[in-house]
Amino acid sequence: MKPYSDIAPDNASRRAFLQRTGALSLAAAATPWAMSLAAMGEAAAQTATDYKALVCVFLFGGNDYANTLVPYDQANYNAYNSLRSNIATARASLAATLLNPNIPLAGGRQYAMAPELAPLLPMFDAGKMTALLNVGTLIQPATKLQYTNRSVPLPPKLFSHNDQQSFWQSSSAEGARSGWGGRMGDLFAAGNGNASFTCISVSGNTVYLSGNSAVQYQVTTNGSVPVAGIKNPLFGSTACSTALQNLMTAPRAHLFESEYARVSKRSIDATDQITAGLAGVPALTTTFPAGNSLASQLNMVVRLIAARNTLGAKRQVFFVSLGGFDTHDRLLVEHPALMTRVGSALAAFYNATVELGVANQVTAFTASDFGRTLVSNTDGSDHGWGSMHFALGGSVLGKSFVGNAPEVANNGANDVGQGRLLPELSVDQFGGTLANWFGVSAADQALVLPNLQNYSTRNLGFMAPG
Amino acid sequence: MQAARFLAQATLGADKAQIASVQAGGYADWLDDQFAVPRSQGHFDWLVANGYGIEANRNNATGMDNTIWRKFIASPDALRQRMVLALSEICVVSVLGIDAQWRQFSVANYLDILEANAFGNYRALLGQLSTSPAMGYYLTFRGNAKANPVTGSLPDENYAREIMQLFTLGLTVLNSDGTPRLTAGATTDTYDQADVSGLARVFTGFVLVTGNTSQFPPESQRDAMVQVAARYETGSKTFLGTTIPANTEAFESLRIALDTLFNHPNLPPFVSRQLIQRLVTSNPSPAYVERVSAVFGNNGAGVRGDLREVLRAVLLDPEARSDANLSNPNFGKLREPVVRFLNWARAFGATSPSNVWGIGDVSDPATRLGQSPARASSVFNFFRPGYVPPNSPIATQGLTGPEFQITTESSVAGYVNYMQRAISGQGIGDVRANYTALQALAGDSAALLAEVNLVLAAGQVTAATLTTLKTALDTIAVATPAGQLNRVYAAITLVMAAPEYIAQK
Repeated sequence: MKPYSDIAPDNASRRAFLQRTGALSLAAAATPWAMSLAAMGEAAAQTATDYKALVCVFLFGGNDYANTLVPYDQANYNAYNSLRSNIATARASLAATLLNPNIPLAGGRQYAMAPELAPLLPMFDAGKMTALLNVGTLIQPATKLQYTNRSVPLPPKLFSHNDQQSFWQSSSAEGARSGWGGRMGDLFAAGNGNASFTCISVSGNTVYLSGNSAVQYQVTTNGSVPVAGIKNPLFGSTACSTALQNLMTAPRAHLFESEYARVSKRSIDATDQITAGLAGVPALTTTFPAGNSLASQLNMVVRLIAARNTLGAKRQVFFVSLGGFDTHDRLLVEHPALMTRVGSALAAFYNATVELGVANQVTAFTASDFGRTLVSNTDGSDHGWGSMHFALGGSVLGKSFVGNAPEVANNGANDVGQGRLLPELSVDQFGGTLANWFGVSAADQALVLPNLQNYSTRNLGFMAPG
Repeated sequence: MQAARFLAQATLGADKAQIASVQAGGYADWLDDQFAVPRSQGHFDWLVANGYGIEANRNNATGMDNTIWRKFIASPDALRQRMVLALSEICVVSVLGIDAQWRQFSVANYLDILEANAFGNYRALLGQLSTSPAMGYYLTFRGNAKANPVTGSLPDENYAREIMQLFTLGLTVLNSDGTPRLTAGATTDTYDQADVSGLARVFTGFVLVTGNTSQFPPESQRDAMVQVAARYETGSKTFLGTTIPANTEAFESLRIALDTLFNHPNLPPFVSRQLIQRLVTSNPSPAYVERVSAVFGNNGAGVRGDLREVLRAVLLDPEARSDANLSNPNFGKLREPVVRFLNWARAFGATSPSNVWGIGDVSDPATRLGQSPARASSVFNFFRPGYVPPNSPIATQGLTGPEFQITTESSVAGYVNYMQRAISGQGIGDVRANYTALQALAGDSAALLAEVNLVLAAGQVTAATLTTLKTALDTIAVATPAGQLNRVYAAITLVMAAPEYIAQK
């Protein structure tokens, strides 16, 4: 296998970015603080006047593609059922979520969504949601023969959770230094009133939202967390509160102390603005399902979007997530429960953007470590590669499929064994299409998704022109 | 201060007397003493003895957090407990992934296994955890069935993949100093999908003991898993260049498989480097890894995997003990939130008069510690050994900072808020520190800070910071005992919020 370091998209993009912004010399000498501030200031490549938000919905663990989008036409349902008879969804239960796209798939192929995704059917039918068939991590297009012979560069560490999560988000394995959400943030942060609110995670830390200058800002499902001992006198002493704030935020020489203080400073600097912004948001009539952590996160995204004017935001990239998709066993119990959460959370989210009048300006899309095997391991499925994903929003050209239906097989034309799909569409093409809608110019696409240049089709066409 | 620094690496926290004892006797003697300290009552036995094995707890984890806090805070075998936490973050089991009856008992048994082997041999540890009900549930190979030609089903690959990726080998072929071995500039994968599928055939047929005659239902969580012939794959199994012949008996197959992993050249550097990262520094030099790895490979008496000697090598290495590294801006590690909390509890002799240790689950980053023992979100632990905080000076220098993976704008605030409450005895059940000695120093803020800095931060909070903090603390009146306590609380809170403390050098 060709070493991925030969490709080095991360370094290449960083270099290109720094050259564009004239910050290369600065980066070598400046302190971290000065560097990020300088880079932010000079990154005003693209200034937006309208508002747009992109929301990455990451399904941690590797979503089981075959029970998410199930082959429904009789011949392919039969093939599906024969390869995973003990973990298949009954065909009768799929009739209600059969997808009827404007342009039917070739060869009479049909798909139904998992029954628990029924809340999303109205969005699909209304043309607000599309399904991408067999998308996954790649460096460049790869045929099965090329995969078998290892004659083209392939993503490193295939089938490994942490590395494929990272590759999805950043085009590099674990240890990546920036992701494509953050690299979009690099281009737009300067147009935002407060650059800190460009890339926001309501989940944990994620490389997806880190750019070369853009920094992820993390909030909880209740917003930001103030430091009580700063907000109120620490054990009765305002002097101690002041000391606490200075202690937590002052620049430091030690590498780890410095980075910890940087995070603390961002936390303390932003909390008042976030809290005030959220306080001004009127209650929504759209209800989000209770006991659903993904829904709670998306609810916070909606509230932050509602506060966009107070927060001075023109372009934002959000990250939310749900775990538990590593369904090696009990798939028939666990996967439907996960689909229920995904379906109800995404539907509520879309409805809330309609209520706010921003549906056309907000696009959510799903992502995951990898797809899984089609072949059963008796009560679950194992790590795979390509998968099925969705994009949802008012600007999505929906009621559609993107890509071709892969052969339902074990070691067939489109899988590398056990139904591990060899991706036909790359994450770069998926991301490139979203980036184009977001406002990233063709010239800047290579900064965001360096491997996109390896594809002749750089826009999959599922987004309305920005 | 050097003694305090040593104990910060070797324990989950130490009080002034323990620091003095290391100072008097030296590191080597202290280690020998610690290796000889007997284990306190096991987690499983404690749950039983304290009445947690009742019907109401069948389908929840009640009791698990209690016994974990009990041991991590109060067990006298400080080095062993430090090692248990470290091992629990390499060979991860999380109760969040065990959707089974009596899960508190299966995790308790798992932690007992880690404890029993903490100074033992890594091979024995691998053997015991690979047949533990907790691991069987967590990595889903309990009940794993052989290939079925009728349905086309194949064995579950979960454990086969993760035992190689996380517990023994890692993904990349390593040099003995832990650096990737490069061939023409390229790394080499340790194994491929065929190795995973081949090894998965070994981990078939294991099930929990059933029909246990004990009156006590959770007992099934203590016994090693047994074999069911109908589910075991009797065909040959090929992985990592080894072939186990067809019709090899199941436990013999397991022995061969684990021996193959244990004797793989990647194992010593892979595990040694992580132990160094857990205890001493996030970015050990290759030479440091090489030295520890050599001991892992051979303890001097021809034994591979002797964790007692590995621990000695980690803690007594010149790189760990070097004075120069105290001022090296790249040396050390972020103390993880749970360890900070335990530092406080152990430094000031926290006790739970009810013996309930009702601290609970502290996973919420907004209101608690953002990390809770045996509650990682996946087998990839709370943080990865290779985590690089993106877009940071750490990344620019090509270094890692594992604990930064759980360091966010929310968690840094949530941690200080949680500690402020805990230090003043709120939100942690009846667990209370003993501040008698500190209260006596409350009238002298400089002396108070010096003491707190020594026991918590090994004296690593700088004089300049201490001067600022002293001025602030002096504003708290100490005319009353309540005032004295407020000054003590504030002093501890401030030191524990100091980046100089949070980054352990």
